Amino acid sequence: MKDLGLWGQLIYYFSHNGMYVLSQFNQTFLVSIYGVLLGAIVGIPLGIWISQYRRLSPVIIGAANVIQTVPSLAMLSILMLGLGLGQTTVVVTVFLYSLLPIIKNTYTGMLSVDPDVLDAGKGMGMTRWQVMMTIRIPLSLSVIIAGIRNALVIGIGITVIGSFIGSGGLGDIIIRGTNATNGGAIILAGALPTALMAIITDLVLSFIEKRLTPKTSSEH
Amino acid sequence: MRNKLRKWLAAFLVAVVLLPLGGCALPGLAGSGNNTVRIASQNTTEQQIMAYMIAGMISHYTNLHTSIINNLGSGNVSFNALKNNNADISSIRFNGTDLTTILDEKFERDPAKVNTIVTQEFQKRYQMTYFKSYGFADTYAWMVKQSYAKKHHLETVSDLKKLAPNMTVGIDQIWQNRQGDGYPAFQKMYGYSFGKVLPMQTGLLYDALSADKMDAILGYSTDGRVGSYHLKLLKDDRQFFPPYDASPVATDAILKQHPALKGVLNRLVGKISLTTMQKLNYQVDDQLEEPQTVATNFLKQHHYFEGGK
Repeated sequence: MKDLGLWGQLIYYFSHNGMYVLSQFNQTFLVSIYGVLLGAIVGIPLGIWISQYRRLSPVIIGAANVIQTVPSLAMLSILMLGLGLGQTTVVVTVFLYSLLPIIKNTYTGMLSVDPDVLDAGKGMGMTRWQVMMTIRIPLSLSVIIAGIRNALVIGIGITVIGSFIGSGGLGDIIIRGTNATNGGAIILAGALPTALMAIITDLVLSFIEKRLTPKTSSEH
Repeated sequence: MRNKLRKWLAAFLVAVVLLPLGGCALPGLAGSGNNTVRIASQNTTEQQIMAYMIAGMISHYTNLHTSIINNLGSGNVSFNALKNNNADISSIRFNGTDLTTILDEKFERDPAKVNTIVTQEFQKRYQMTYFKSYGFADTYAWMVKQSYAKKHHLETVSDLKKLAPNMTVGIDQIWQNRQGDGYPAFQKMYGYSFGKVLPMQTGLLYDALSADKMDAILGYSTDGRVGSYHLKLLKDDRQFFPPYDASPVATDAILKQHPALKGVLNRLVGKISLTTMQKLNYQVDDQLEEPQTVATNFLKQHHYFEGGK
């Protein structure tokens, strides 16, 4: 094995364990996505809500901030005491960490909608619900997506650490690499797909974000 | 176009928001559903190979799903995972270790006696079934580099006596203070102590020895790296280290829920010899193969032990 060199070993590794890496990739991706999705389900309505009742915003955003200050390994261990080992605990952890970026971005997005446009909507006789659905949410979507994008990149990082509490995924490969004889190639085999996943999801979401960014009216 | 996309996405986000939280089953993830068997595995190669082997056997013979809870730090952690219902099967347990750590019984050297006590007590105290051994036993063994052995004419553990005060040795973390077969008892039986004893994670021991950072290490006899580094195993001439039979352990609850599991696990009993295990470990530790790949290939090669009972 040693005569192959690091890159040769890496290629050898992928050709022998391709299916395994793929399934671990899949697991890591799903755990992160589910956590962020749950974060969006809770975070977006919360963000919209506090943008309407602004006195509540320091409380909610403050709470989300506090969660963010707990180191992820500590959070995993704390939740493990209650939820046990495995993927559920990691999904919940990712969920908690995705709250702050999503709530904050939703809140900011809601408030940054041009008041003139809102006035125009009201002037046309729109109800509050209609203003929300046809003006506020569509116009702030790009900012909300930016929050989700942030959350997802954080989430992938946390999921990899989640291997320490038995959730599997690409983190398993990295940890195994640290235990194996000359594990350099194995560590790379776990780390490169992880980085790739983070970069690709970031690119895809930034593409969506760009398409959703409101342009000045003359462009329509 | 852009407006359409925006409207569509807005509708999607609303739909996501309205999804009832409780109804999420998280498809694609192995949850703690009724049809999932959770296998606890520690962070050693051997444990992981056997965990994937059990998983492979279960999905070959039954319709159950499996999930592997990997990288648990020690036998205690994996035992507690079973006890707290975080897992259903422990991939490998060593009866000699469980006797003194989990059961907190007196140290015992006779393998047959160890087996009886551990099987009975696990059943009685924790409602867990200790299966018969896979067919290999793991034991601690002192190892040195071939060159070092040649230079000092080393064959047995007793031969280390005159060198010991100047030696730096590496051991795994639990051995140092272990009762019965730990370092204190070792010093008493062999009548010498080492100059410097460094406890560390097992995987690092072999690297440290091959990098000449240590003179000798206390490793596992089944480890594949014994072969890949061409290490010399010193003979335990006073029979200090008892052999530890390796077996799977399952909770009675899961065996009752899925009675087929018992037959599946029994198919592996006596099928994996010490040399087989060494070979499998070697493939993972040295040949860049994943435990899962190795386990799957091995099972396919042996047709999932369909012939044997």
